[in-house]
Amino acid sequence: MAGMKTASGDYIDSSWELRVFVGEEDPEAQSVTLRVTGESHIGGVLLKIVEQINRKQDWSDHAIWWEQKKQWLLQTHWTLDKYGILADARLFFGPQHRPVILRLPNRRVVRLQASFSKPLFQAVAAICRLLSIRHPEELSLLRAPEKKEKKKKEKELEEEVYDLTKVVLAGGVAPALFRGMPAHFSDSAQTEACYHMLSRPQPPPDPHLLQRLPRPSSLSDKTQLHSRWLDSSRCLMQQGVMAGDVLWLRFKYYSFFDLDPKTDPVRLTQLYEQARWDLLLEEIDCTEEEMMVFAALQYHINKLSQSGELGEPASGDLGLDDLDTALNNLEVKLEGSAPTDVLDSLTTIPELKDHLRIFRPRKLTLKGYRQHWVVFKDTTLSYYKSQDDAPGDPIQQLNLKGCEVVPDVNISGQKFCIKLLVPSPEGMSEIYLRCQDEQQYAQWMAGCRLASKGRTMADSSYASEVQAILAFLSLQRAGGGGSGNHPQGPDASAEGLNPYGLVAPRFQRKFKAKQLTPRILEAHQNVAQLSLTEAQLRFIQAWQSLPDFGISYMMVRFKGSRKDEILGIANNRLIRIDLAVGDVVKTWRFSNMRQWNVNWDIRQVAIEFDEHINVAFSCVSASCRIVHEYIGGYIFLSTRERARGEELDEDLFLQLTGGHEAF
Amino acid sequence: MGESNEDIDQMFSTLLGEMDLLTQSLNALEDQDLDALMADLVADISEAEQRTIQAQKESFQNQSHFAPPETSAHSSAACHGDAAHAASITISQCEGDLPPPPADPVLDLPLPPPPPEPLSQEEEEALAKADKIKLALEKLKEAKVKKLVVKVHMFDNSTKSLMVDERQLARDVLDNLFEKTHCDCSVDWCLYETYPELQIERFFEDHENVVEVLSDWTRDTENKVLFLKKEEKYAVFKNPQNFYLDNKGKKENKETSEKMNAKNKEYLLEESFCGTSVLVPELEGALYLKEDGKKSWKRRYFLLRASGIYYVPKGKTKTSRDLACFIQFENVNIYYGIQCKMKYKAPTDYCFVLKHPQIQKESQYIRHLCCDDAHTLHQWVMGIRIAKYGKTLYDNYQRAVARAGLASRWTNLGTVNTATPAQPSTGTSSSQPNGQIPQTIPSVSAGLQEAQRHETIKVSKVRSPHKHILAEEMAQQLRCLPAKPKDPGGTSIWNWRPPVPPKRQENPGLPSAGAGGEQDFMSDLMKALQKRGHMP
Repeated sequence: MAGMKTASGDYIDSSWELRVFVGEEDPEAQSVTLRVTGESHIGGVLLKIVEQINRKQDWSDHAIWWEQKKQWLLQTHWTLDKYGILADARLFFGPQHRPVILRLPNRRVVRLQASFSKPLFQAVAAICRLLSIRHPEELSLLRAPEKKEKKKKEKELEEEVYDLTKVVLAGGVAPALFRGMPAHFSDSAQTEACYHMLSRPQPPPDPHLLQRLPRPSSLSDKTQLHSRWLDSSRCLMQQGVMAGDVLWLRFKYYSFFDLDPKTDPVRLTQLYEQARWDLLLEEIDCTEEEMMVFAALQYHINKLSQSGELGEPASGDLGLDDLDTALNNLEVKLEGSAPTDVLDSLTTIPELKDHLRIFRPRKLTLKGYRQHWVVFKDTTLSYYKSQDDAPGDPIQQLNLKGCEVVPDVNISGQKFCIKLLVPSPEGMSEIYLRCQDEQQYAQWMAGCRLASKGRTMADSSYASEVQAILAFLSLQRAGGGGSGNHPQGPDASAEGLNPYGLVAPRFQRKFKAKQLTPRILEAHQNVAQLSLTEAQLRFIQAWQSLPDFGISYMMVRFKGSRKDEILGIANNRLIRIDLAVGDVVKTWRFSNMRQWNVNWDIRQVAIEFDEHINVAFSCVSASCRIVHEYIGGYIFLSTRERARGEELDEDLFLQLTGGHEAF
Repeated sequence: MGESNEDIDQMFSTLLGEMDLLTQSLNALEDQDLDALMADLVADISEAEQRTIQAQKESFQNQSHFAPPETSAHSSAACHGDAAHAASITISQCEGDLPPPPADPVLDLPLPPPPPEPLSQEEEEALAKADKIKLALEKLKEAKVKKLVVKVHMFDNSTKSLMVDERQLARDVLDNLFEKTHCDCSVDWCLYETYPELQIERFFEDHENVVEVLSDWTRDTENKVLFLKKEEKYAVFKNPQNFYLDNKGKKENKETSEKMNAKNKEYLLEESFCGTSVLVPELEGALYLKEDGKKSWKRRYFLLRASGIYYVPKGKTKTSRDLACFIQFENVNIYYGIQCKMKYKAPTDYCFVLKHPQIQKESQYIRHLCCDDAHTLHQWVMGIRIAKYGKTLYDNYQRAVARAGLASRWTNLGTVNTATPAQPSTGTSSSQPNGQIPQTIPSVSAGLQEAQRHETIKVSKVRSPHKHILAEEMAQQLRCLPAKPKDPGGTSIWNWRPPVPPKRQENPGLPSAGAGGEQDFMSDLMKALQKRGHMP
């Protein structure tokens, strides 16, 4: 027993005094002094500490942190000698789980308890389980960027912080669902709100804010982000993270396994958000046409999530409905009228007839819009000189199937035109229809769009299409309080939405809002029928289709080269990129990779590929541990198999990504 | 009230009777007659055409009710085989809920050409009426199904006429042709459309609807459908490295990319086609673009992206933000250009063409691009197809492989069973809109397969440039008033034979029943027709 004394009070055993601070790393903290010997077990020391503190509390999460060695003393059966602890060790008795502030991919903030003692890989897995994000191996944590001192103290918007520190996660792999959300979220209104924040897309950001946020202006800027990744094989405490620090949670590896809209609402949403911010902050470049599609999808997603239409659209068997109505029609007709009508009734299709002004651009004519009587039936548009001529032959008849429909709208100018590019064997013929007001425009536009896809106005989507067009028009009306005779769209919330919030700032500079809106509207018509999850998935897919998708940039210097270059790491390859021009110099695929080595002393990574191709480089922008972890991580992710489900071979991961760096 | 009921009954009975008439005549058709029929039709049509030249054009485009009277009677009969099945089954059911038609055709023979007496027991009357309404509806639906007789030019310069209905995909037509030609069913077989006037040609993608594509052709077109082997069709799946790993980082890894082991290929394919989104090969380079309306070509730097083809504007770099969109793929098809060097003074003959499928004549909306060599051309064409069709292309390939595998297995087993593998995957049963439709008669009778094996197809030349005849207009005719042929038995087609009960009806799939099993129907018809040819 440590602490045996003689009568005079001298210690007669080899015991010595050990001072342990209670609490987190705080020199002012309360401390206890114990009498121990080198033979004392950690478990015994823990017990003594608790006895000495003599306070009733749940100490089960507490453990001893050895500051100098940056090490947790977690092996309770080890002795102090085995750990090599002497009297001069600065030990802290504190909780292993501490709160951190986590900035999610959707830029919202949650406070939650993270493990400071387990390797980051496990800590992230626990966080993801709490947030109900599957496949945590694809995510990791970054340090928050250091805030630059602002000249003028701009008043920072008070952000809402969702608190999840109190939430206790039940055991078991998959948290049970309760009221449509994982059970641990359904305890209180706050946590429920948090789940909605996690699983529903956020509204578009304020365009002004968007312009103020930092954007990478060059490839070397893009390398900055990747220098902040935390090390997966070490714990947060070892990496100098303190309780209450801000960390970013991001998808690190761009290899999204088994993305399932049904089981992954949070994962899908967060992935969508990360993709969206990537595009808005120009972390990844796209073309103008692609940006319009992204903007249209964002608009559509926002509209659906605002209006609460979360479920899939009812996709009843149209053919069946069709037949039933036809049957009813037939029966009605049979009871009453002449048999000749019977057959007509089967093909009854709603039609539009109205006076519209039509313009056909032709060479060598200066004619403008002319009033015509226009009949739109089935997928065919016919126009006549006047209403009286209608039973006769039309001036022209156009089948709109396969045509291009382009809106040409200027609300303030009260111009509602539809440009049609109608294919015919001879080529495309261009024709403009000018409508009088929004209502008329929406009806004809919806008809044209359906017809271009080969559907008629009898299609069930016609009404919703009309509504969607009206809703979009309302976007363009400044202030919204314009014409009073306009019927309320389904989503008043969308009114006044600024298209600038949907596109990257460089497009804000390039286009005026009123130029942007019609282009987004045009792209929107192809996605208007998607459900919320479909639209999110489509967004992610389009993001994945970008040539630069999923490349993490590091600044490196290749062996034998005198200048810095960029190494791009993607899920299947390494890319050597010229720093100045941005051209791809060389690509190596992981599938041809034999082995890779890291020399921690000279911070060099050496890779051997098939056919004795050797590549070596030292890392400039990020530590070579990050590069090493990226490569190992992608190799690990490629070993995942569907059959194994969500089970993770953590040892393999740490083996592939860990290293023997001297700390 | 009672009287009007009678009227309706009468009307339906007449209608059904008429349909049966047509049915029978159709069933009497033998396969080789199809070509003869074509010839007759074509003759009739060209005769009629002279009288109605202007109107013809319109009617073709709009599929309106306009049709020359002579042709309508013939072809409405020829084109309503499906209705035929429905008709004969249902009537046997009306006559007292018999069990499914027996296998022996003789029992079903005496279906007389005049309409059967309507059932008039009081208690059954209402039921019968409802049945008939539904039946009539089915038939009307059926009658609306557009069908084309397509002349397919075979690899050996012969031609075959095929009936293709509007629900059939290129895959179904290929399967049909496999059965007829007993070829090796390799994945390289494809339907190929050529436009002699524009000097362009392309594959039908296996998932494309054949009738839809053909309806874009004009009446007097010289376009042809070919059945031939093209290894470019699925080249990307055989050697993905040639498309995905080529040219990256200059020419140095050219040797490595040429040979690649099967496992790596598989891995590459999985990576490219089985992820959340399909990867489009990274493709960029200088191509020549034909300038609008001129025979001059301008060299520009083009890049392929999933969203379209882009070019680098003058003085700009090839970063995403500077690119200008050249074309997007939603509304265009990709074609190979043939002999553009001659026709358009192209720098090389390796051209590809993008145009809206409906454009059939020279137009400024047709885009011509010219590559330096054949390899580049194939890369671009394949790349564009991947960007346009995505995963569908891979699915098509896998179906084609499955089909080829099936065929070789059958040959190996020695039991040439060409009847069953026709549509392996489309058969997922369709929902039945109303319970009155005859139930499934499950198995394929052995006799049919036997007959199938021995059938031979004679090919007769069609005398006219028309490759296909639009049956829709004739179908319209049937809907309004099923006209009796003027002189039954007058031609070889109209020799009246008793109808045959449908043997194979895995899918009673009346056409309205949803998309699922519909494609099967036409091949059923074809088989029934073929079988007739060998009945004693």
